[in-house]
Amino acid sequence: MKDVSQGRIAVRRFVRHRMAMAGLLTLVALMVCCFGANWIAAYPRNAQDLLLGPTSPSATHWLGTDDLGRDYLSEILYAGRLSLAIGLCVAVLSTAIGTLLGAVAGFARGWTDEVIMRLTDLLLIVPGIAVLALALQGLGSSPFTIILVLTGLGWTMVARVVRSQVLSLREKEFVDAARVLGASNPRIIVRHLLPNLVGVVVVNMSLTVAAAVILESTLSFLGFGIQPPQSSWGNMLSQAAGLIGTSKAYLLYAPGVAILLTVLAVNFVGDGLRDAFDVQGRP
Amino acid sequence: MNHHHRYPPSALAGLAALTLVSAGCSTAADTSPAPQPSASAAVPVRTGGAIVIGAEQEPDCADWIATCAGSIWGTYIMQTPTIPKVFDVRRQGDNWVPVASELMASEPAIKDQDRPEITYKLRPEAVWSDGEPITSHDLKYTALQVRDGKDIFDKTGYDRIASVETPDDKTAVVTLKSRYGGWRTLFSSGYGVLPSHLLQGKDRQAIMKDGYDFSGGPWKIKQWIRGTSVTLVPNDRYWGERPKLGQVTFQFTPDTAAAFQAFKSGQLDAIYPTPQLDAVEQIKSGLPGANTQVDAQTGNLEAIWMNNGTFPFDSQPVREAIAYSVDRKAIIERLYGSLGVKQPAQSFLSPLLSRYAASAFSKYTRDLAKVQQIMSGAGWAKDTDGVWSKDGRPARFTIVSLAGNKRRELTEQVLQAQLKEAGFQMDIKNTTPANIFGKLAPGGDFQMGLWTLVDTFPDPSLSNSFSSTSIPTEANGRSGINFMRAKVDGLDKLLEQVDTQLDETARKEASAKADELIAAAVPSIPLGAVPNVLLWNQRVGGPIGINPVEGPWWNLAEWGLTQ
Amino acid sequence: MLTFVTRRLLYSVPVVVVASFILFVAVRATFDPLAKLRQGHDPSALQYQITRLGLDRSVFEQYVRWLKEFAGGDWGVSTRTGGAVLPMIGSALGTTLQLILWGVLFAALLALGIGVYSAARQYSAGDHLFTGLSYLGIALPPFWCGLILIQALAVWPKQQFGLAEPPLYFVGLHSPGLSGINADYFRHLALPVLTLTVGLVASWSRFSRASLLETLSSDYVRTARAKGVPGRRVLLRHALRNSLAPFVTVVALDSAVLFGGLVVTEQIYAIPGMGRLFLDSMLAGDVFVLLPWMVIVALATILLNLLSDAGYAALDPRVALR
Repeated sequence: MKDVSQGRIAVRRFVRHRMAMAGLLTLVALMVCCFGANWIAAYPRNAQDLLLGPTSPSATHWLGTDDLGRDYLSEILYAGRLSLAIGLCVAVLSTAIGTLLGAVAGFARGWTDEVIMRLTDLLLIVPGIAVLALALQGLGSSPFTIILVLTGLGWTMVARVVRSQVLSLREKEFVDAARVLGASNPRIIVRHLLPNLVGVVVVNMSLTVAAAVILESTLSFLGFGIQPPQSSWGNMLSQAAGLIGTSKAYLLYAPGVAILLTVLAVNFVGDGLRDAFDVQGRP
Repeated sequence: MNHHHRYPPSALAGLAALTLVSAGCSTAADTSPAPQPSASAAVPVRTGGAIVIGAEQEPDCADWIATCAGSIWGTYIMQTPTIPKVFDVRRQGDNWVPVASELMASEPAIKDQDRPEITYKLRPEAVWSDGEPITSHDLKYTALQVRDGKDIFDKTGYDRIASVETPDDKTAVVTLKSRYGGWRTLFSSGYGVLPSHLLQGKDRQAIMKDGYDFSGGPWKIKQWIRGTSVTLVPNDRYWGERPKLGQVTFQFTPDTAAAFQAFKSGQLDAIYPTPQLDAVEQIKSGLPGANTQVDAQTGNLEAIWMNNGTFPFDSQPVREAIAYSVDRKAIIERLYGSLGVKQPAQSFLSPLLSRYAASAFSKYTRDLAKVQQIMSGAGWAKDTDGVWSKDGRPARFTIVSLAGNKRRELTEQVLQAQLKEAGFQMDIKNTTPANIFGKLAPGGDFQMGLWTLVDTFPDPSLSNSFSSTSIPTEANGRSGINFMRAKVDGLDKLLEQVDTQLDETARKEASAKADELIAAAVPSIPLGAVPNVLLWNQRVGGPIGINPVEGPWWNLAEWGLTQ
Repeated sequence: MLTFVTRRLLYSVPVVVVASFILFVAVRATFDPLAKLRQGHDPSALQYQITRLGLDRSVFEQYVRWLKEFAGGDWGVSTRTGGAVLPMIGSALGTTLQLILWGVLFAALLALGIGVYSAARQYSAGDHLFTGLSYLGIALPPFWCGLILIQALAVWPKQQFGLAEPPLYFVGLHSPGLSGINADYFRHLALPVLTLTVGLVASWSRFSRASLLETLSSDYVRTARAKGVPGRRVLLRHALRNSLAPFVTVVALDSAVLFGGLVVTEQIYAIPGMGRLFLDSMLAGDVFVLLPWMVIVALATILLNLLSDAGYAALDPRVALR
C-alpha cells in the first residue's frame, strides 16, 4: 500500500513538471516516428536515385536528398531507430546489471563486495576510449557489439550508486524486521531494497540514454561506430561533417538536431524524475 | 621497383598521386612543368616569403628505405624536395615517363645481356648541402644498404643487383643478375640516392628517421615537429634552380572538414585533399579565391577485389556474372562526374601506365540478361529470396573496405543495391587499414574488398598483385600482395616478360596480352581511377600542377608569392 | 595525510599490474604487431623482427618482459614511426596537459560563476537561461560542436567582415615558426578550450548551483542570515567555501577522463596530444605505443582520484584522511 501511494505522488509530481512533460512528449513522438518509420516515412529505406543525387530541401523531399539521392528525412527516421535503440538498450542493460551487482555487493558485503568493487575500480582506471576501440576493433562494429561495449562501460556508475544506497538502507529497521520474520536474502533484495532504489535507478537510466546516444555519434566520427549500410544519427552526422560551410550544410544540421532534441528531451525527463522521486545527487 | 606498386598502407584516406589527361599537353624537359588547364602558370611571382600547406597525413618516418617508411605523404613533402634521384617523372606527350634528372650528366645506359650492366654518369657540379660532391660511392652505398640491409621496406629490383663498380667518382656501373625491365626505378622512385659520407658505418635509421639535415635537392628540412608540421627552407648549395619561396611549412591537418575550413580562412595556402565527395562539394560551393586543379591521369586504381580462393568467387562464372551485374559507369559518374571524370577503368594498370594497358574490361557493362545466362549455365538457380544458389549455398558474401571513408561507403551501398537486383546478396563490413592490409588481405580472410592499388612509378608491375607466386603464403612470410589469390593460366609467364624484357615494344605487347588474359578470367574488377584535387589560394602562384608520382609539390621550388 | 597517500599508491600497484596484463592480452589479441611489415615485400624483415621482439615466446613471457622493460624506462620502439615510445608519449602528454589545464581552469571558473549567480537568483530569468544553456552543452555531440564553433567564430567572421585573418585559429597550438605562451598561442587555444568547456561547464555549473543551494538552506547559513550578515557575504564567505570541497572533487574526477578522452578535440584542431596519438596508433595497429599509452592514462586517472580525495580533505576540515 505504501509503495502505491508513493508511486502516485511521484507521478503527480512528474506530471506537474512542465519541462519534463514536454521532454516526454518529444521523446514519445520521436520514438513513434522512428520505430514506425516503415509506415510514416515517405520513402522506403535506402531508396537510391543515383541520377538525382543530392538536392536541396523541397516539397517532395522536405530535408532534401543525400549523395545517393535518398530522401533525407526518411533516412533520418530510419537511422533514428538504431540511435534510439542503442540508447535505450544500453540504458536498460547497464542499469539492470549495475543495479543487480550494486545491490548484491552492498547487501552481501565480504568477498563478493570486494570482487565487484575491484572490478568497478579496474573499469574506472582503464581508459574508456581504449576499451571501446579495442573491443570494437576486435569484435567488429555492429549495433550489438556497440550496445555490449557501452553497457560494459556504463554499469559501474550505477553499481556504485546503488551499492552505497543499499549500504545505508540495509541498516534501516524495515530490513531488520523482514530478516527477523525469516525472509531469505534474495527476497529481501527484491521485495524490500529494490523498490526503495527506484528513484536513483530511474534517474540514472535517463542519463545513460543521453550519454549513449552522444557516445555513439562520437564513435562514428572516429570510425568505430555504426557502419553503412546501417545508419544511425551519429553515422549520418559524421558522414556530413565535411559539408560545413557549403550549400549542403543542412545535411549536417538535420541529424545533429535530431540528436540534440533526443538528448534534451531525455535530460528533461530525467530532471522531472529526479524531482518526482526526490533524488539527491549531481546531475 | 622499390615500392612503386603498393596498397596505401595508412589512413582514413585513399590517397593518391594523380594527373589529368588533357589534350594538347606536350613538353617535358627535366625541369619544365606540364601545362595544366587550370594552373595559374602565368601569374608572376616574387622571391622570398613563406607559405603554409595542409598535409592530411603525417609520414611515420623519414628513413625512406626502412620498413617504417612507405607513406606517400613522406615522399611528397620531404623526400622529393631533398633526396636526389636518377630519374624524375615528367610528362611527355600524353604520358608520364622517367626522364634523367639534373643529377645525371647523361641518360643512364643499359647493356642488354644476360647480366645487364647499367652505367650512371653523375653531373660534376652535383653536391650535397654540406658541399661534398654527390658521387658514385653514394649510389653504391644506397644499393648495398637496400640489397643487404635488414628491416628494409622493399627490396624489389635491388635484390637483382650483382655488384656495383665505381670506376671514378662520377661514374657507377651496376651489374644485374638477370634482365630487369623496371631498371629505371633503381635510385629513383621511392629511394633515390643517399649520402655515403654521412651515413656509411653509422646508424642510418637514427640519423634519418625523424628528419635529416642533409639534402641533395632544392630544399632542406629545417624542422619536423611530430604531429604538427614539417618546415622546408632552400638548400643554398643546390646546383640547379633555387627555390623562390624563403620557407614552406606543411601543417598536419588530420580532419578533412577542418582542413577545408582552415583553407577557407586563409590559415592554409594550399591543400591536397583526398578526393571525397565533400571535397567536390566544397569546390562547387565556391571557395573564395581558390584555384583548383583536378587530375584524372592518376596512379591510383580503385578496384573491386574478389578472393578467388573462397566461395563463391572460386568460380569463374560467378566472377564474370558479378562483372556484368555492376554498373561501373554509373558509380564513377556519381562519385566524380562533377569533377569531369566519367569513365570507369578498363584495366588494372592505372592511367599513369595507360601506354601499357589494353582496355580489355570494356566488354563488362551492366547486363542482367547475361548474368542470368551465365549463372544458369553454371548450374545456379535463384532461391525464394531471389538470390542465386547452388547446392544449397546462396551467393551471399561480404565486402570489406576502409572504415570511415565516405566515398567507399557510398560505393559499397551502390554496389549492394546493384548486386541485389542481379541476385547477389552482399553484406558490408568495414574496418581499419591496419586490419585489412595487415591481417585480412594477407591471410585471405575476406571475400570481396574495395581498395586502391597505387602505382608510384610509370613502370608496369602487375606481377606483384597478379602473379601466382605473389600469393601470400606461410612460405613467403605472407609477404606477397596477390591478396585475391588469382591464378590465371599463362599469366605468370607474360608478367615475367613484362618484368624482364628490356625492349619497350616487347614489354608493351606482353603487358597488353596480360591485360586480355586478366579480363577474360576476371579475378577482380577495376572500378575507376581516383582523381586528385589540388587547391591553392591567390597568395600563391607559379607553374602549379600535380605530378602523379612525385606529388603536387614536385616543383615547389618554382612556387612563389604573387606580386 | 602522507600515510594516506602512500597507502593509496601502494594499493594501486596491484590494480595497475592486473589492468596492464589484461590490456596486454587484449591488445595482442586484437592486433598483429607485425601487420605493417607484412605489407612490405621483404620476408627476411619479418623473421628478424619476430626474433628481436620475442614474438615467438608465450604471451605471459612476453608480458613479463614488457613489464620489466616498462618499469625500467625502456618503453620500446613504435612500429609506426620507428621512434622511441617514451618521448612520443611524453610530448603528447605535455600537449594534452596544456589543453586540460586551460580547459579545466576556464570551465571550473565559469561553472562556479554561473553556479553562484544561479543560486543567488534562483528561478530568475538568468538562472533559467543558464540552465537551458547547460542542457544544450550536454546535448551537443562534441565533434559537431567543434565544427560549428569553427564555422561561427573563425570562418564566418573572416568572410563576413572581410578580415585578413580569422579572429581565432584552429590548426595546432602555434602558427608556424612561433612557440611559447603569447597572443598567437591563445588565439589557437581559444577554440579547442571552448569546445572542451561546452561539454564540461554544463554539468559542473549545475553541480555547483545545486551544492550552493543545499548549503544556503543549511542551518548555519540561516543563522548567519538571521544575525544580519549581508546576503552577498553569506553567499561568498560561507556557502561558497563550504560547497567548494565537493566541487573540486567532481572537477578532479572529470578531468581524469580527459587524459585519454580528448580524441575528438585533438583530431579536429590538429593538436598532437594523447587522443591523436591513440587514434593514429590504433589505426596503424601500433601495439608498442598503445599499451604504454593505456597504462599512462590509467596512472593519471589514479593520481587524479587521489588528488581529488586529498583536495577534499584539504578544503573540508571535517574530513580526516586515514
